[in-house]
Amino acid sequence: MNDDFVPAHPQDPGLDPAQDAGSHADAILKVEDVSKIYRSGDTEVHAVSSATMAVDQGEFVALLGPSGSGKTTLISMIGGLLSPTTGSITLAGTDVAALSKRELTAFRAERVGFVFQAANLVPFLTARENLLYVSTLQKRISRKEAHARADQLLEELGLAARAKNVPEQLSGGERQRVAIGRALMNDPDLILVDEPTAALDTKLGRQVVELLAREIKQRGKTGIMVTHDLRMVEYTDRVFEILDGHLTHVEQPSALAH
Amino acid sequence: MMLALNEIRRGRGRFASIIAALSLIVFLVLTLAALADGLFFGATGAVRSTNATAYAFSPDAKGSLIRSSMTPEQVREVSSDPGVATASGVGVLLTAGTAPSGEYDVAVFGVQPDGAGVPTTLTDGRLPQPGENGTAAIDQELAYEGVAIGDSITVGTQSAEVVGVVRDSSYQLQPTVWTSLDTWRAMRNEVRPEFTGVTDDVNAVAIITDSGVTAEQVQSEVGDLTVLSAEATGLAIPGVEQQSSTLNSIIYTALAVAALVVALFFALVVLEKRELFAALKALGTSTRKLGAGVVLQAIIASAIGVVIGALASRGLGAIVPDEVPTLFRTETLITISIFTLVAGVVGAAFSLRRIARIDPATAIGGTL
Ligand SMILES: Nc1ncnc2c1ncn2[C@@H]1O[C@H](COP(=O)(O)OP(=O)(O)O)[C@@H](O)[C@H]1O
Ligand SMILES: [Mg+2]
Repeated sequence: MNDDFVPAHPQDPGLDPAQDAGSHADAILKVEDVSKIYRSGDTEVHAVSSATMAVDQGEFVALLGPSGSGKTTLISMIGGLLSPTTGSITLAGTDVAALSKRELTAFRAERVGFVFQAANLVPFLTARENLLYVSTLQKRISRKEAHARADQLLEELGLAARAKNVPEQLSGGERQRVAIGRALMNDPDLILVDEPTAALDTKLGRQVVELLAREIKQRGKTGIMVTHDLRMVEYTDRVFEILDGHLTHVEQPSALAH
Repeated sequence: MMLALNEIRRGRGRFASIIAALSLIVFLVLTLAALADGLFFGATGAVRSTNATAYAFSPDAKGSLIRSSMTPEQVREVSSDPGVATASGVGVLLTAGTAPSGEYDVAVFGVQPDGAGVPTTLTDGRLPQPGENGTAAIDQELAYEGVAIGDSITVGTQSAEVVGVVRDSSYQLQPTVWTSLDTWRAMRNEVRPEFTGVTDDVNAVAIITDSGVTAEQVQSEVGDLTVLSAEATGLAIPGVEQQSSTLNSIIYTALAVAALVVALFFALVVLEKRELFAALKALGTSTRKLGAGVVLQAIIASAIGVVIGALASRGLGAIVPDEVPTLFRTETLITISIFTLVAGVVGAAFSLRRIARIDPATAIGGTL
């Protein structure tokens, strides 16, 4: 439903994404001419068409578009959850589309941090254990380091007092903060966030996105946040707009200010 | 593993139900098995707890000790066959015997003390000696009933003094009295007057085969006699085979039910956790790891079920009356524990395909 989607101001068309990508030669993430077609029976859905974009190391960008425009499909391909029908995706030198299913599992564990729409925490693990769990899926960070890292993240996210609580004892905002901590836990190259505020009210939503932006900036991480809510883009560096599967503009958040 | 263990620890209520179901099944299975073993040993102990590895019967006896009848010549013939180390006559009499403590239904076995078919399960006293008449070793059942060493057991006018106790040697659920062939024959001739004057017959021949020689190999040497292994002799006792196959099929059915219960439980658990499993896969958990977690949970639930079921079954065993023939064998417990664990793993394995099919891509987004 497009209710709260406000399209970009026509008087400020921004940049063409393909052209913009050309000027980011050292980008950590390169999406080149990526398309995704869902086929079921005779019908084809062109969820993403010839998307080209580049994101620099340390950038936190937004992917903005109305519901059904292909945002989730695009970041799922970037995060190794879906394979593109055509095109290539390169993250820090790794050709994501070329990885096998097994390699993709390891790729997601070590190189990508996900924050889902609903926090999707493990209900029978405490906040701290939810963070530690993902560290068991990789080998770069030792057990001891992981414990220190989990405690530090919980502290930074204002969850130190809630570390021993299971998700059902946490508020919606707290859960989403745990999910952010979990995404940062394995020190990934890229953090992908899909509509993180969908389940939260506006005020809480802004707090969560602000915290997310701060964590990503502080750690020099690269992040992409999917949203259909124009009010959330002010915490990002750049905004990619998507409509009907096509990336249309790249803007400065300030150009979209209401 | 962290997931699997914590889920059981924090979600005890749910796992309590599967553990309770498995405990009940294991309890049922072990109790039935104890009954089956009790009946089986009660019926066949006399041919299983001796040094004989095979028995030879007269051609028309169909492997039945009671129906069989043999002459001393036949016993000698069997002894001289290749593959036979020792062969000696065995006599059986089902009758009532009187001791100071009461009258009992007994099976009197006449055996040659230095021959074959002699009990190997002496628990107290001694066995009758070669050439010694008028003495007997009794089954432990009789000792439980109050017959003691030094008492005499009388059949008709013939008595034997109790000199020892053996265990697990019942025959057709009757406790046995082991005596010399002559004493047995004297008792038999009192009870069955038609044998009056017969002084050298036996019912069957107990055989100790040379090592590595089977009952079938001996059979091929003895012409028209029937030779059965000790095991097969037990099964040939009327009713024994039917009884154990009935009880065994109930036991196998119950174990299949255990596998089914586990399969259904984990099918439900996995169905309920589709979303979580998709998210865990998206975070980089392999299908193998998720599957191993489910199998581990099944093993833990089955193992706890086995322990509780075994304790409950032993508890029941301690309070059932002595007339109910139950026998709790460690061997049976181990077998059934392993079967239950296997049933649990097999049941859980049905969920593995379902777990493999969960698409991690469904974890993210969802069109608003
Ligand atoms: N698994 C799928 N099978 C078929 N069509 C799909 C599937 N997932 C998404 N789509 C379609 O692809 C388009 C883009 O969906 P999506 O990427 O979820 O959009 P957004 O996240 O921007 O709301 C929509 O038309 C949607 O219906
Ligand atoms: Mg979406």
